[in-house]
Amino acid sequence: MIGAEEGRRRDVRKRLLLGLGGVLVIAALWQGTIFAYELPLVVLPSPWRVIEALLTLVRTSAFWKDVGVSLMEFAGGYLIGGVLGIAAGLLLAESRSARMTATPVVEALRFVVPFAWIPLTVLWFGTSYLGKLVLVAYAVFFVMLVSTARSIGQVEPTLSRVGTMLGMGRWQLAMRVHLRAAAPSIASAARAAAAIGWIAVVAAEYVGASAGLGLMITNAATSLATPVVIAGMIVIGGVGAAVSAVVRWLSRAWLDYR
Amino acid sequence: MMAVRSQAGVADDGEGGELAFEHVSHHYVSGGRRTDVLADVSFAVGAGSVACVVGPSGCGKSTLLSLAAGLQRPASGSVRWQGEAVRLGPNHHLGMAFQQPGLFPWMTVRQNVAVGLRTRGQGKRDAHRIADEFLETVGLGDFADAYPAHLSGGMAQRVGIARALALRPKLLLLDEPFAAVDAFTRLKLQGELKTLLRLHRPTVVFVTHDVSEAIVVGDAIVVMSQRPASVQRIFEVQPEDRKRASPSYARKLAEVLDCLGVHSEGDAGG
Repeated sequence: MIGAEEGRRRDVRKRLLLGLGGVLVIAALWQGTIFAYELPLVVLPSPWRVIEALLTLVRTSAFWKDVGVSLMEFAGGYLIGGVLGIAAGLLLAESRSARMTATPVVEALRFVVPFAWIPLTVLWFGTSYLGKLVLVAYAVFFVMLVSTARSIGQVEPTLSRVGTMLGMGRWQLAMRVHLRAAAPSIASAARAAAAIGWIAVVAAEYVGASAGLGLMITNAATSLATPVVIAGMIVIGGVGAAVSAVVRWLSRAWLDYR
Repeated sequence: MMAVRSQAGVADDGEGGELAFEHVSHHYVSGGRRTDVLADVSFAVGAGSVACVVGPSGCGKSTLLSLAAGLQRPASGSVRWQGEAVRLGPNHHLGMAFQQPGLFPWMTVRQNVAVGLRTRGQGKRDAHRIADEFLETVGLGDFADAYPAHLSGGMAQRVGIARALALRPKLLLLDEPFAAVDAFTRLKLQGELKTLLRLHRPTVVFVTHDVSEAIVVGDAIVVMSQRPASVQRIFEVQPEDRKRASPSYARKLAEVLDCLGVHSEGDAGG
């Protein structure tokens, strides 16, 4: 019989070993492909060259500046898009006339992915910070709008009746009961929106930027510094995962009543 | 119009007023189909009286309470409180315990009981103190700091009752409040409820499946028919009927069950 403590330790060990194993398998396949097809450095650098490039990047200040710019664009757009999206979602969930007014526009715009807007944003905002911020905000806004409206629609009807019985007016009910009851579901959507927002930032930077991770990667690609390109991709993935983890930690800290 | 009057006599200085259903009909429309729930229901509950509503499942008893609480407007007819039509939306004169407890999962038990008081203007400390008192009354004093997720169904229902009672409403609406509670606790809570009702004398509409409970708690029993429901009959409850050991209790129980179409053992086989 395994005790609970021992079981937990074994579980952690297992997770680390298997996780490491997965990474090593990928690295092996990677290296194997290079050997099998005799690929030159420019086409597919070895894992080791990528790690070298990564270590070099981490020591340059320009790299950290690029990371900072991308994060700033993301953070600004995420907050603005998030707050506006939740507010709009709440409004649509609570007001039938608002819903009827907004639905055609929302349904039309929802599926116009952020990337499709890039030519226009470059035209309007150039390669500035504002353009990326608008793009991220747009992407996050629609995700949060739709999920907030849906989450509030799924709140248990009894809670509304209880709130009314206790004496809450319509908007008090919306803020103090509906929003609060839908919060866990909205937080879950916020995590997904973070991923979408981060992807939008990098994609926008590929096309038109004066700074940021996307620009760093396209510059490296132009100068055929493929190890840097792949190192940059790894950084994108890492920062994205970190952002997602932060959002999850924040929402758990705030919503932990289950 | 059939009326339910309390035993306390005509001059009543309790907190309650009169609740009247006047030719109330109601229906639901779902998926193009119309379901008639109430058909010309008319009766009045006198100030400070306790009306126990019994009837077959799904016969619209909950709808009656919902209309009395102003959560819905009747399709036709009117529901009047102290002579005036009940307003749709929040009403500060009433408190209701629903069939599903409907506790707010993000609040502790104490906060849940207190929230109605706070919405109605009470300060936080007073509200929490009153909440604790009523939690004690329903036997959940030790759970004031727990979250609803940790409660059993019966416990959650009791919190809902405490929440309604804590409002000290003039009109108290209870929708099968003891349905999920075990038999012993139910008897104890019936006693507690009666004590509280004697103290504040609100007007009460109490929906229940349990006829013996209705006899013990109510001043009168309103028997509803099958859906679309109307009032079949109103039985008055005399003080002697409430003593479970008395023959008049047994007679009353048999009478009401008979009206509901449930026949006692003596009739089996003709």
